[in-house]
Amino acid sequence: MFLQLLINGIIMGSVYSLVSLGFALVYNTTRTFHIAYAVLYMFSPYMFLTFYNNLNIGLFPALLISILLTMILSLIIELFVYKPLEKKNSSSTVIMISSIAVTTIVINVIALFYGNETKILNPNISGSLSLGNIIITYTQLTQFVVSVFLIVLFLLLLKFSSLGLKARAMRDSNLLCNIFGMNIEIFRIVLFALSGFFVAIGGFLIAYDVGMDPYVGMPMLLNAVVALIIGGVGKFEGAVIGGFIIGILQSLAVWMFSSSWESAVTFVLLIIFLIFRPQGILGEKQRKV
Amino acid sequence: MNYFLHIIIMINIYVILTVSSNLLIGMTNLLSLGQAAFYGIGAYIAVLCLMILHLPLIPTILLVMIVTALFSLLLALPSLRLKGDYFVLATLGFQLIVFTVLYNWVSLTRGPYGVSGIPAPKLFGFIEISGVLPFLILSSILALFTIWIFYKLINSPFGRVLKGVREDEISVLSIGRSVTNYKIMVFVISSAFIGIAGFLYASYVTYIDPTSFTLDESIFILSALLIGGLGNIKGPVVGSIFVIVLPELLRFVGMPNSIAANMRQIIYGLALLLLMRYRPQGIAGVYKVK
Repeated sequence: MFLQLLINGIIMGSVYSLVSLGFALVYNTTRTFHIAYAVLYMFSPYMFLTFYNNLNIGLFPALLISILLTMILSLIIELFVYKPLEKKNSSSTVIMISSIAVTTIVINVIALFYGNETKILNPNISGSLSLGNIIITYTQLTQFVVSVFLIVLFLLLLKFSSLGLKARAMRDSNLLCNIFGMNIEIFRIVLFALSGFFVAIGGFLIAYDVGMDPYVGMPMLLNAVVALIIGGVGKFEGAVIGGFIIGILQSLAVWMFSSSWESAVTFVLLIIFLIFRPQGILGEKQRKV
Repeated sequence: MNYFLHIIIMINIYVILTVSSNLLIGMTNLLSLGQAAFYGIGAYIAVLCLMILHLPLIPTILLVMIVTALFSLLLALPSLRLKGDYFVLATLGFQLIVFTVLYNWVSLTRGPYGVSGIPAPKLFGFIEISGVLPFLILSSILALFTIWIFYKLINSPFGRVLKGVREDEISVLSIGRSVTNYKIMVFVISSAFIGIAGFLYASYVTYIDPTSFTLDESIFILSALLIGGLGNIKGPVVGSIFVIVLPELLRFVGMPNSIAANMRQIIYGLALLLLMRYRPQGIAGVYKVK
């Protein structure tokens, strides 16, 4: 039982890590508290629903289109909401509140068109693999393999490409990047598109398993944020470690209490970290300015 | 007629919520997403006082204020060590934990089934306050009382220190005021009054369940406050009227109920988005969000 829950936790954690990495990509570099990331998470399965279940264009074309549309939505939010506010030198609070406003708008537009109820993407029960007394469904296996593949690929990319160098430079100082002639506006577009890509896949992987309603994004966003903070803000690996910790912990919480206490466990963990180790597991202690 | 009185009662409740949140968010620049948690705590404590302890009106209100204020210390003491985004996150975490406890501790709160049949509060033990008109009077008195207290607070030396904390913490420190103590006081005062709103809601509707006190409610209170404006009394009052009257107007325009709820949220979102871009001090406020 314990082992089964541990494995479930690790699989869940891999998706959390993927989603958290997408959030970290924006938060670490631009310091935008991108709450609207939550709506991107549920936007992609809804687009998939439209193209796959309603228009019947096949699994991979539908998936591709839904990922593309999610990336486009991410860019629209960046170009029409965040960028003008950045131009006006608005504070991070103003940006966060605007992001909350965008979230409210998109959630309710989706609810208007698709209804508030839970939608199922895959009505079949997926087959499963049994190893001893541990059962892993094929959907879970796909979740794990795709997430880990993307995470590893992306971490390598960050380490060895100019993209990673620029991302780390922006993490340290946006102003200095500007001074050294980096085109921040273009780079922000790349970042938002990439983060849209990650969250689209994460959203699809979970929704294909358990379905979705317009409100699923918020809890997931909170998991991603908590993962980032306990892992260490500023470190991309931190988001990954945090994601796995939360996945495992939530899975064990289900075992010890019940599934309804999941989010409480996450937030107790967050508050403990905020008080005792605000820089997270990997973070370095920052000097006060 | 009762319909209009009902709207005014709801406006009164939201005036209490936003005017007291304004002290925290508008005067001291502590953006909290945990306001609905205190609203809920107030409501459940009111249920405890009215249903189990059978207390009369005034002791109930006092007890609700005290207990809600004590709970606010639970959030204030750890979270005030944090700044900016982290502070907001801690309040958000508090909000979700309180909701989870209200929802899952079934033996204490009856969880998702909610509590129904909350008895009417009795003034001096014999004048029963139930029905729309008595509640209109009670809620108006409480709302005016709240406005008066906060008007006095904002324009007192205490309020000036808060403005100082909002604008520049270090200069407040340098004249020998403890920023942390002031922030804790603001937390306690503002949540004590939010508790009153919870009491009013519980005893007016006579039924509560945890879904009235979710993160969405916190965001709703925050939008009402931000749409109205921060930093004075006029702003929150205007905001409360706006968010309560708007859906009723939509109903008069003839929008079907099935889409009205979503439309309303979309309009709030758009209003917030446009205000943040073009008028960060809200419709009637004086303070631009930093």
